[in-house]
Amino acid sequence: MDSQRRKSELVLAGTPSRKLWRSLRELWDYRDTIAAFAERDIRVKYKQAVLGIAWAVIQPMAFMAIFTLTLGHLANVPTGEVPYAAFSLSALVVWTFVSNSVSFGANALLADAAMIRRVYFPREVPVLGSVGSALVDLAIGLTPFFLLAPFLGAHVTAWWLLAPFLIPFLVLVALSVAIPLAGLNVYYRDFRFALPFGVQLWLFASPVAYPLASVPEKWKTLYLVVNPAAGIIDSYTRVLAYGVAPNPAYLAFSLLGSLVIGALGYLLFKRLEPTFADVI
Amino acid sequence: MTYAVKFTDVWKRYPRGWSEGEQPRYASLRYDLARLWRRQGGTRQPQGTEALKGLSFEVEEGASLALIGPNGAGKSTALKLVSRISFPTKGEVRVRGRVAALIEVGSGVHPELTGRENIWLYGQILGLTKSEIRERFDQIVAFAGLEPAIDAPVKFFSSGMQLRLGFSIASHLSPDVFVVDEALAVGDAAFQARCVDRMRSLVNDGHTLIFVSHSLSAVRDLCREAILLDRGRLVSSGNAEQVLETYTDMLHEGSISGSNRPEPIQVKRLQVRGAVDGAPLSTGSPVTLLLEIDSAIDAPGVMIDVGLADRYHTFLATLSTQSSGRRTDLLAGRSSLSCHIPALPFLPGEYEVFFEVQNPRTGAYVAKQSYVGTIVVSDGPSWRRSELAYGSVSGRGPIDVPFEMTLHRADGRDH
Repeated sequence: MDSQRRKSELVLAGTPSRKLWRSLRELWDYRDTIAAFAERDIRVKYKQAVLGIAWAVIQPMAFMAIFTLTLGHLANVPTGEVPYAAFSLSALVVWTFVSNSVSFGANALLADAAMIRRVYFPREVPVLGSVGSALVDLAIGLTPFFLLAPFLGAHVTAWWLLAPFLIPFLVLVALSVAIPLAGLNVYYRDFRFALPFGVQLWLFASPVAYPLASVPEKWKTLYLVVNPAAGIIDSYTRVLAYGVAPNPAYLAFSLLGSLVIGALGYLLFKRLEPTFADVI
Repeated sequence: MTYAVKFTDVWKRYPRGWSEGEQPRYASLRYDLARLWRRQGGTRQPQGTEALKGLSFEVEEGASLALIGPNGAGKSTALKLVSRISFPTKGEVRVRGRVAALIEVGSGVHPELTGRENIWLYGQILGLTKSEIRERFDQIVAFAGLEPAIDAPVKFFSSGMQLRLGFSIASHLSPDVFVVDEALAVGDAAFQARCVDRMRSLVNDGHTLIFVSHSLSAVRDLCREAILLDRGRLVSSGNAEQVLETYTDMLHEGSISGSNRPEPIQVKRLQVRGAVDGAPLSTGSPVTLLLEIDSAIDAPGVMIDVGLADRYHTFLATLSTQSSGRRTDLLAGRSSLSCHIPALPFLPGEYEVFFEVQNPRTGAYVAKQSYVGTIVVSDGPSWRRSELAYGSVSGRGPIDVPFEMTLHRADGRDH
């Protein structure tokens, strides 16, 4: 190997560095490891499943069918000029990513406890790996959406081209929640039980089963501030189902909210990190 | 010379787990919230167990250092600090260069993936680059001895194969500092020998090695320096041979980490009788070991073992009452155990005698293993009587094996 490489000196003393910038730079050095974790997760996930990657498609489709039947037909949730099915599928494809990222990401450290006890890497690496593997699922889920959506009545416009550029916002939302949860999960297994339940609540607190337009005007700001996923999911439904531009204000709410939660959550995670191996 | 690893007054406290005067703690939000509530107004008591108490030492670049000591001495904790897995509570740990741990790694291998996928992915997670893995892939497979099975899912591997795979990946890292924790317990004898060879070649290539092992012979084999730890403190450091001697002395005196409670069964005296009373022992001659045992308790149906070990605490043989097949009852009061060896199989050297009493069914100790004395074999077979042979007994093995040796030419034309 590169034996000429200058040896870096590492000092462990007192309290570890909690500088956000330094942590992020170290994370960049570990990008290959993140990719390896993501690749492993994807391989493992579909290794023994007969339907393989089809599961990435089945999940949002099944929810769309149920939602359309119950909320679209029975409850008659209004979705404006596009049919309910087109609306909910566009929201669900995106939601599936958020929900998978958070569910798998929050358990990533426990799943790799054996490695945490034995090998050093920044502890957020497996969490990022889980989000990375969910991203691959999203890409797989989006393909049939693009094929199916025109038949469901979605408006196909040039705004569809914006979809990939919104992905960073989505990843940020997922990470801002998954990282602190992963850290707390190591300390308190309570989070493991609360998680599926919390994710379900979050689904109904997001504009997935109903459009953001149906939220009463006076609650809308609070709704967007409390739930950083709301703005980005709404943007996706606008782009993918309605074929119109996203609302920049809503997108900004989402971005700011997840940046604040993400930064605080990351600091919390870094604070907990030094003792992960001792308690996991 | 510069250091590769430097500990300065390092303390490590494990936050959870057993601590004095408190129940073992499990993590739960309810417990911690309750404690937070109770702590209001009170002072915060430090919690948990202290694994290291002000440890300072330095390892030079390219050195091979062993950490030895009884269980709970803090050896593994020190290794975890070096490899960045754990963080010091107080003090400073400095490490120069890349560290790789050769800790028992098999459990990190994923059972659903094939051997090939595991080498590829797990190698990257451990810190190999893609090109390094490509370069070393065949070596890794060969080292683990997995050529025919490499494309099968690891869950179909035997547990030994899984461990070998994990160890093999880890041992092909090329860090500046190599950290090994009892990894030699992995796999069969042939694989262990390969591991020792691999570690030796890493040391010879100038990598720094920090080695934790209970196998004192492995330590002696691999390390030039050693540090003796006991209950989180440094007891002795320096030349490996000397530190090992200090350690075995302390084991004999029982001054290390043992309880001070007197054993109910004790050996009062060891008498060694050779062929002729008073004459020095020689290889192949008959020997009788006489142990005078004082017992404070009746111990019916036990198994009494007399163990023979070399100077470094490596056991060579165990002589047990179990072998007779008869029931052994050790009654309260004084007994004498006679142990006759018709032909002593040891070459000249010093050998230690250990004594223990066990329940043969449960394996529980009635009397814990204790050192009772040393026997000295001073005369060997004539062919070993040269100065060369005497000078290097340990290097040639201690056992006298009856043998015949002949050399033939391959074409059959003998001299």
